[in-house]
Amino acid sequence: MTAILSHVLPGGEAALAAYGGGVAVQAAGTADPFDSGMWEDHRELYLGEPAAWRTDPAMRLLAPRSAEDARHVPILVDATGLGGPVERIVITIDYSPFPLAMVFHPGRALPLLGFGVKYEMAGPIRASALVGGEWIMGGAFIDAMGGGCSAPAVTHARSDWQDGFGEMRGRLWPDIGRLRISLRHPMDTGLADGIPAHHLTDLTLTDAQGEEIARLEINEPLEENPALTFLLPPDLAAGPVGIVARDNSGYRFRGEVAA
Amino acid sequence: MKLTRRQTLLGAAALTLPLPAMAALPDYRLNPQEVADGIWLIEGAQESFYRGNGGAICNIVMLATPGGAVVIDTGGTSRHGAALRAFADQRLGGVAASVNTHHHPDHWFGNQAFADRPIHALPASIEAQAAGAQALAEGLYRILGSWMNGTAPVPAETVADGGLLDVGGRPLTCMAMAGHTQGDLVLIDQRTGTLIAGDLLFLDRAPSFPDARIAEWRASLASLALIEVSGTIPGHGAYRRDNAALVQTRAYLDGFEARLDAAAGQGLAPAEALAAGPMPEFAGLGANPEEYHRATIQRWRDFETGALPVIGGSA
Repeated sequence: MTAILSHVLPGGEAALAAYGGGVAVQAAGTADPFDSGMWEDHRELYLGEPAAWRTDPAMRLLAPRSAEDARHVPILVDATGLGGPVERIVITIDYSPFPLAMVFHPGRALPLLGFGVKYEMAGPIRASALVGGEWIMGGAFIDAMGGGCSAPAVTHARSDWQDGFGEMRGRLWPDIGRLRISLRHPMDTGLADGIPAHHLTDLTLTDAQGEEIARLEINEPLEENPALTFLLPPDLAAGPVGIVARDNSGYRFRGEVAA
Repeated sequence: MKLTRRQTLLGAAALTLPLPAMAALPDYRLNPQEVADGIWLIEGAQESFYRGNGGAICNIVMLATPGGAVVIDTGGTSRHGAALRAFADQRLGGVAASVNTHHHPDHWFGNQAFADRPIHALPASIEAQAAGAQALAEGLYRILGSWMNGTAPVPAETVADGGLLDVGGRPLTCMAMAGHTQGDLVLIDQRTGTLIAGDLLFLDRAPSFPDARIAEWRASLASLALIEVSGTIPGHGAYRRDNAALVQTRAYLDGFEARLDAAAGQGLAPAEALAAGPMPEFAGLGANPEEYHRATIQRWRDFETGALPVIGGSA
């Protein structure tokens, strides 16, 4: 089962099957399909040194084979095929100066997340889902010229980077449960000369009663002016959905999207 | 896809030779064809940049004049440029001048071999050449390896604009257009009525979109459609007497725009639109699906912003 929507475009179903999504995980197992030295460290640092983990082709991570634009690499993680309730999904990038990109707590949303990341150099990106106490990893190798984390945000080339800062856009598709949100933010990593780190730290979705639906912990690798894709069950997809986000400079961002 | 002799040779060399041997291979094997009176076309491989084609992927046009060749686009590497220059020197009495139709590197990274003569380009192209040379060169060294040896891109320095370019006694009508990039120079040879369209036109090769503004591109195509020509040389693809390149490029722009509009309007994430691959009727074009994948990443924001209304802001 997959919640990936490529099939709604003509020819998209066959193309998706042929595409696979980078060198994605093809088989279940306990060997690292990317044979990368970072994976052991990152399991210890970001997954709490689990005794067991495995790969599973049902843990989908869709990515371009080549970054094309190292500042915006589009990713879609789909853990809806794993069957069990997903407690959280940890996104790591093996060779990033900030390996821990994001932690997604799906809560009452479905375990699907679309986003874009900056890529500093070629290597694997992984999504590890915690399901019933077990870690299941999916990923893709992305070729990249790199430099995405150390380049200044494009907005700094303008005379006033605060123009439009914080503008939130979004839309809810109640029939398919999709929610897409974008937010104008430089997402400065602090690695570009003379530009201090200034990035989002978390984003929360809330229901009509203000109760939390899902939560995202955000770190430096998320792209400038990020766009996020969520999947909601029918009751929540009827809306309205509130969005609250914060950054490391104390700014807060709010929005509400109705069906 | 039809393989040219050069592609076959290059492909075989890239597959079978170890790297040190490739480094010693300077060979760009050109296959110049005289498509109209005094108009020589050296067709590029119908592919994206990759190590097997050495960056020789766009069309190069040479117009024979009493004063030597007018060279339209100079190739993708310094060595490619040198091979083209050798042909002009040996067969066309040298080079009178050259032209860069726009700033994408496959069209001007051979400029070094032509720098002793004026190199014409639109002001927007010259600016983009200077601004992007370093990053473009880094990218191409990475993709092409030793094919790029010695390539230090030289931007054009002679400003072209609309009007007449008369070099060597063979007048060319110049039209400053845009859409594929900020500056797309289109030329018409007055003697034969041949349209040399640069990358505003592609034939049987997927158009590229890194700097595209689709509405402007479409307007440029509308202008081109009004011009009577005897034949068309697109930036990529074969010479044709009919308007096949115009019709196909317009249909590709329409199809690409409709596909990304549909994707953004139906709640797809960009990774899903990318993985859905190109429009089925264009899936078989040269350089696809890779060019579609690249274009989706390059142009996604143009479509997404319109699909998502403003719902909030800084609180």
